[in-house]
Amino acid sequence: MKRQQYLIKKISWAVFTIAVVLILNFFLFRILPGDPARSGIHDPRLKKDAVEAIRVRYGLDKPVINCIEKVNPVVFGGCLVNPLDTQFFIYVTNLFKGEMGISYHTNRPVAEILVERVWNTILLIGAGQVLAIIFGVIFGIFAAWKARTTIDYAALLSSLLAWSLPTFWLGIILLFWGSANGLPIAGKATPGMSSMPWTDQWADILRHIFLPTLTYTIVFMGEYMLIMRSSLLDVLSEDYILTAKAKGLSTFQILKDHARKNAMLPLVTVIAINLGFTVAGALQIETVFSWPGLGGTIYESVNRRDFPVLQGTFLLINVSVILANLIADLTYSYLDPRVQSES
Amino acid sequence: MKSKLTILLALLMATALILSACGGQVAPETPEPVEPAEPGATEPPAPTEAPSEPAVVRIGYAGSPDTLNPGAAVLAESYLIFELVYDTIYDLNLDGTFSLSLADSAEVSDDNLVWTFKLRDATFHDGTPLTAEDVVFSYDLYANTEGYPWMGDYTYYFESVEAPDPKTVVITLSEAIPNLDSQLVFLYVLPKHIWENEDAVEFENTEMIGSGAFKMVEYKQNEFVHLAANKDHPQAPKVDEVIFQTFESNDALVQAIKTGQVDMVTEFPATSVESLRATENVEVVTGAPFAPTVTDIIFNQCTAENCPEGDGICSGHPSLQDRNVRLALAHATDKQKIIDVVYLGLASPGTTLIPDGLGVWYNSSLKDYEFDVTKANQILDDAGYLDTDGDGVREMPDGTNPLVYRLNWPSDSIDGPRLAELLGEMWAEVGVDTEPQAMDPDALTAACCPAYDFDVMLWGWGSDPDPNLLLSVMTTDEIPTGSSETGYSNPEYDELYYAQGAEMDFETRKEMVWQMQQIVFDDVVYIIPYYDPALQAYRTDRFTGWITDQPKVELADPTSLDVIEPVQ
Repeated sequence: MKRQQYLIKKISWAVFTIAVVLILNFFLFRILPGDPARSGIHDPRLKKDAVEAIRVRYGLDKPVINCIEKVNPVVFGGCLVNPLDTQFFIYVTNLFKGEMGISYHTNRPVAEILVERVWNTILLIGAGQVLAIIFGVIFGIFAAWKARTTIDYAALLSSLLAWSLPTFWLGIILLFWGSANGLPIAGKATPGMSSMPWTDQWADILRHIFLPTLTYTIVFMGEYMLIMRSSLLDVLSEDYILTAKAKGLSTFQILKDHARKNAMLPLVTVIAINLGFTVAGALQIETVFSWPGLGGTIYESVNRRDFPVLQGTFLLINVSVILANLIADLTYSYLDPRVQSES
Repeated sequence: MKSKLTILLALLMATALILSACGGQVAPETPEPVEPAEPGATEPPAPTEAPSEPAVVRIGYAGSPDTLNPGAAVLAESYLIFELVYDTIYDLNLDGTFSLSLADSAEVSDDNLVWTFKLRDATFHDGTPLTAEDVVFSYDLYANTEGYPWMGDYTYYFESVEAPDPKTVVITLSEAIPNLDSQLVFLYVLPKHIWENEDAVEFENTEMIGSGAFKMVEYKQNEFVHLAANKDHPQAPKVDEVIFQTFESNDALVQAIKTGQVDMVTEFPATSVESLRATENVEVVTGAPFAPTVTDIIFNQCTAENCPEGDGICSGHPSLQDRNVRLALAHATDKQKIIDVVYLGLASPGTTLIPDGLGVWYNSSLKDYEFDVTKANQILDDAGYLDTDGDGVREMPDGTNPLVYRLNWPSDSIDGPRLAELLGEMWAEVGVDTEPQAMDPDALTAACCPAYDFDVMLWGWGSDPDPNLLLSVMTTDEIPTGSSETGYSNPEYDELYYAQGAEMDFETRKEMVWQMQQIVFDDVVYIIPYYDPALQAYRTDRFTGWITDQPKVELADPTSLDVIEPVQ
C-alpha cells in the first residue's frame, strides 16, 4: 500500500513537472528578442512579402495565445480568438501528435531531426557512462580498500584531475593525439560505408566513437570514483562492518555482501542525474568531434536561431532529466526501503 | 582471505588492460584513415591493391548544406553542391565573367527583350533526357513559388519562358536588363518529372537528380555529402568521387588536413595560416572568395525628412550626417592595423561596398583616405566640433551632444569585438568616444533598418556576381524598405543607379558603376575596413591540378573538381 502511494505520488509529480516544462519551453523561445521570421535568413534584402510567406509557413502570423498577440514586446490582442488557432494550442496539439514543428534553418520536421540525432547521442553517452561507471566503481573500491596509501592518493589525485579537466580541452588534446595516430576525428561513420556489410559498418563506427567515448569516460570516471571511494569509506566505518569483521568474514565478502550495496546509494543519485543532464553535457564533446548528436544540434541551432529545433531538443532533455530522476527515485525505494516510509 | 580479493582485483585489472588494449589496437588495424568506398553498392568490395581503386577527393568544411532544395537554400554550402550536381544555362567563371554551359548559343532580339538559347545534349542522372521543358518548368517554379527567399529576385524581369522545341528556350523579359547572365547562373535546371509531383518548398530533395558533372550518392545532414563523377558529362571529372565532410570545430578541421584525413579544406581560421604553411605537403591558397563578401562600418545618416513613416525611429547621432565627421573618422581609421590584427595581414583594404572580387566592376582607380590622425583632428576642428568642456570628447558645434557613438555588431561575428575595440582606440585619438555593444543579430536587424535606431554598426554583405544588388543598397528608394543600412540619399547617385540598370552597353554601364563608387566614396557613406579573403588549403600529395591562378579562389568549384587528378 505504502509502496503504491509512493509510486503514484512520484509519477504524478513527474507528469506535473513535464506539463510545466512544456509550457515554459514554449514561452522561453518567444521571449527572446528579434524576429524569428528573419532569424533563419540574415539578410536585410529579404523582401517584405517573402518574410510574410515565411511567417505564414511557420504559423507565426497567428496570435501566441488568447489575449496576447506577441510576447516580445508584449502586444495584447483579442481574447475572442478560437483557441485552436493560436500558436500555443497548435504547439500543444501537435506535440500530442508527435509533431514538433519545422526547423527554420533546414525546412525539415523537428521530430525527424531529433529521432535521427538522439540515437547517436544515446550511443555515445551509453558507451561513455557504462565505461565510466565500471572503471569509476572499480577504482573507487580499490582506492577505498587501499585507503591512505600511496595507491589511494595517486588514484585520488588523478580522479580529481580528470573530474576538473575542461571537457572541450581534454577533447582537443585527445583529438590531436588521435589524429596523429590515424584515428578518425570527425563524424560517426566514413562516407560511403552504408554500402558495406554491417560488420564493417560497426567496425567503422567503433573507430569513430573511440575518441569521444574516451573523453567522456575520463571526465565522468573521476567523479564516480571519488563518490564511490568516499561513500565506501563511510560505510566501512559503520558498526555493522566491524561486526562483520568480528564474525571473521573476508575483506572480499565484506566489500561484496555488506558494504557495496549501501555505498552505491549516493552513486545511483549522481548517475541518474548525470544520465539526464549529460544529453546536454555531451554538447562539448559532440562539437569537438563533430559527432552528429543532440549536443551538436543544440550548438548548431543556437548559432542559427533555429527555435523550433531548440524547443524540441530542450523538451526532450527536460523530459529525460525528469524521467531519469523518477527512475532514480524508484530505484532508491528498491535499494533503500527507508526512503518510501520517510515520505 | 586477503588473497581472494587480490585475485579478483588482478582479474579486474587484467580486464581493464585488455579493454584498453582493444581500444589501442583500433589504430594500427587500419592505417588508412578513410577507406575509399565502392561506387556501386552491388559490387563486392574490391581488394585494395586493385589498380581500379576509385580516386576519392575528401573535402573538409565547417558547415553543411541547410537544404538541398535549390529554391529554399540560403547557405553557400548548399550552393557549392548545386554547382556540382546541376547544370545552368550560364556558368560563372573565376575571373567574374560568364560562359554558356547548358546552352550552345544565345541570341537576343534587337529590343533586348527576347533571348533565345539553344540547349546542348544533356541527360539527367536517372537517364531521362533534359529538354527545354525542364528549363521552362524550373524557371516557372522559381518565379512562382512564394516560399523561396531569393529566386524571385533572379526571375524578377521574366515575362515568360517558353519551349518552342525540345532544344530551344525563349525567355521574354519585361525590361531590357544588362545582367541576365548573372541571374541565370543561380537558376539550376531541375528534372520536371520529379519535381512536378513534389511540394516546391517542403521537398527535401535528398536524392538530388540533376544533370551536372557530379551525381548524389548519399547525403547526411551535418555529417557528409557524398558525390560521384558523372562520366557522361561534357566536363566529365577525372576523379571518381567527392566527399564533403562537416567539421564542427575548426581545430579538428585544421588537424584533419595536417594529418591527411582530408585532401582540401574550403575554409579555416586565419590564425592557422602560418602553421598550415609550415606543414609538409599542404599548400595554402588565399584570394577573393567565389562569392565576395564585404565587412562594412555603417554610419546612420538618415535625416528627419527621410525617416521611414511608422517603422523609423531615426535616433542616429546628428554629427554623423556631416560628411566632415565621417571623413575625419575615415582618416582616423588605420585599416592596415585592423587587417593585421583581425586577418593577420591577409585581407585587402576596401574602399566602397563593391569588392575587388567583382573584377571589372570594382573601381580600382579610387585612392583610399590615408591614415592621418593630425589631419582628422584638423578636419573636426575646422568644422567646429571642439572639446569645449575638456573631457577629451568633442561636442557638436553648438557645444551640446558630445560625440559619443553607440557601436554595435552582431553577436555571432567573430571579428566584431576585435574590430570594435580597435575602432574605439583609433577614434578616441580624434576625440570621439564609443559605446561598444554586441547585439543579437535579430535585435540588430530590428535596430538597424528601417528603424535607424543606432549610430555606428559593424556588419557585412555578401555580393552577387553583378554589382546591381550592392549598388541598390545605397539608393534613397531602399530607405523605407530597410535594405539601405545608412539612410544615405543622393539624387545624382539614384539617377545613375537606374540608368546603369537599363544600360545594355557593357563599357558605358561599367563607367556608370565606377562613377557611382566614386560618389559614395567621396561622400564617405561607409568605411570599408577590408574585403574578406578566401582561405583554402589542399594537400599536394593527393591531387594535382587545382585552379589557383585566378582572381577568385574556390577549390570546391567545378572549375577545380572537374580537372584535378590523383598524384601518381
